[in-house]
Amino acid sequence: MSASGERGRRRHRAEAGGGPAGVNGHAVPVPGPGMALWCHGLSFSYEEARAPIPALRDVGFELAAGRSLALLGASGSGKSTLLQVIKGLDAPEAGEVGLDGRAPAAPEYAALQREVGLVFQTPELQLFAASAREDVAFGPRRLGRPETEVQAAVDEAMELVGLPPDVFAGRHPYALSGGEQRRLALAGVLAMRPRLLLLDEPFVSLDPATRRELARILARLRAAGVTLVLATHDVDLAWALCDELLVLDGGRVLASGPWEAGEAGQALLVASRLREPFLVELWRRLGRDPARAPRTAAEAAEALR
Amino acid sequence: MTPALDPTPTPLTPPARPDGSSGTRPLGGGAGEGSGEDALLEVRDLRYRYPGAPTDALQGLDLTVAVGEFVAVVGANGSGKSTLARLLGGLERPAGAAKAVACGHDLLADDGRMAARREVGVLFQNPENQLVAECVEDDVAFGLENLAWPPEEMRRRVDEMLARFRLTELRTREPHLLSGGQKQRAALAGVMAVPRRVLVLDEPTAMLDPAGREEVLEAVRGLRADGLAVLLVTQEMDEVVGADRVVALELGAVVYAGDVHGLFSDIALVRRLGLSLPAAGDLALELAARGRPLKPLPLTLDELVATLGGPA
Repeated sequence: MSASGERGRRRHRAEAGGGPAGVNGHAVPVPGPGMALWCHGLSFSYEEARAPIPALRDVGFELAAGRSLALLGASGSGKSTLLQVIKGLDAPEAGEVGLDGRAPAAPEYAALQREVGLVFQTPELQLFAASAREDVAFGPRRLGRPETEVQAAVDEAMELVGLPPDVFAGRHPYALSGGEQRRLALAGVLAMRPRLLLLDEPFVSLDPATRRELARILARLRAAGVTLVLATHDVDLAWALCDELLVLDGGRVLASGPWEAGEAGQALLVASRLREPFLVELWRRLGRDPARAPRTAAEAAEALR
Repeated sequence: MTPALDPTPTPLTPPARPDGSSGTRPLGGGAGEGSGEDALLEVRDLRYRYPGAPTDALQGLDLTVAVGEFVAVVGANGSGKSTLARLLGGLERPAGAAKAVACGHDLLADDGRMAARREVGVLFQNPENQLVAECVEDDVAFGLENLAWPPEEMRRRVDEMLARFRLTELRTREPHLLSGGQKQRAALAGVMAVPRRVLVLDEPTAMLDPAGREEVLEAVRGLRADGLAVLLVTQEMDEVVGADRVVALELGAVVYAGDVHGLFSDIALVRRLGLSLPAAGDLALELAARGRPLKPLPLTLDELVATLGGPA
């Protein structure tokens, strides 16, 4: 039952203070390495009284292990549905999701599926336990992991999201601030040590400082080799965090592949009711090559100083 | 392409009431309230505590919003922004206040809060909490039905709101099957269907895609032109830039009220409050740290490009 948790796992230890990834100055172990993902011909519809509403139509793409993918598209384009189908919460009507190169028919597929973490939109609404520690422990316990491993994973995950267990473990989840609750909910998923992490609009409703903190946590997971799929409307944070792009439009793939900021990229984003990342637009407006636009304000400042 | 919004939107303010009832009477209430002459919202020393909470969520908050004014409210998660929005909408009874008036109604009195609810629209953070009907058009009509609008007028109003928020094609859709952004637009249409004098928006764009966000902001700009006062609670610093005034909360009290540039020029305060600069200002800060300060501090892409001297 717990095979998925340990087999061949490599522990990555990030250096404290190493670049922007330092979380509260703590050196924390993070899960890894990442899991490869492919989707072939995925279709899915929501049942409604009159007629089914198609949410995904023939969606296909591949994502190599350790890569990070920005899942973009207008409201209603199918982003949340796609994440739920990848996680296996909704069965596709057609097509399949491959994990680590294995099709759903493979005997080890169920174990691989347990290494896929999904952070729902406003995940703090699902906090329920009487203490932060118990809430974070719920997931790994449900996976049948030994209690010592569960406790280690809880400590690790809470540390990683900036809620050190010595301070927060005993707190009631409802006594935490909104930003702390969001991070606690993320810790609950990280405690299961996912190798593929799916995030559905993780930045919504967070204050700017908490949003940055969360972006730093994700950057750190990415650096540790976790494969990320980030569904978001925040194109600036997506641009800073993701090397690949998948644009959905009405449930169909409008584009997928490495995120390049050239003319085609701009046209694509505008056509999808999105906008270009701020730094790409700035580069264009300054007469510089948008295809070589920086990913972060710090990189931009280095180039402009 | 973003569809253009109706260029001549129906006025969203209440029509004059034939009986001359509270809705259209001059503001400011009784004698001795000089500061409230143009104020649609005025609170002094406003306090609120959640049941069982060890401290006040609002600790003596002062705020005035004048007719047609667009005020942004910022602050970290938990600073009291949403609590303030609920109190101003007459949805909670203040623990106390030296003064608490919305559209001429006393928020400290039960009947005053009831009256305020009709004129102060509040859009909540999570549209799920605001959608109650079985299809979108019924949801938009919900408030009007409660106010017993004549059916023909109600139908016209609902059609206008559906068009304004690009919901016409979704009018028969069940709200729970909409995406997050569509839900928020439906909720907003429902709030705006009832004629309002003040609109309190609690992070109305948080769940919208960039185009949807721009439509809502465009609609908010339109509301200002209609004479509505708008109080926008937001975590999007780019949205703050367009406001007449910004109010920053910390631990349930106002720690800054004034010019938008004034707030963003005080980096120490911005950081303390868990805020950030708009993207343009953020880059300016990084440049300043590398020995190239930009003055005045650019807050928009246009200002940044102009300051850096790139091609127009």
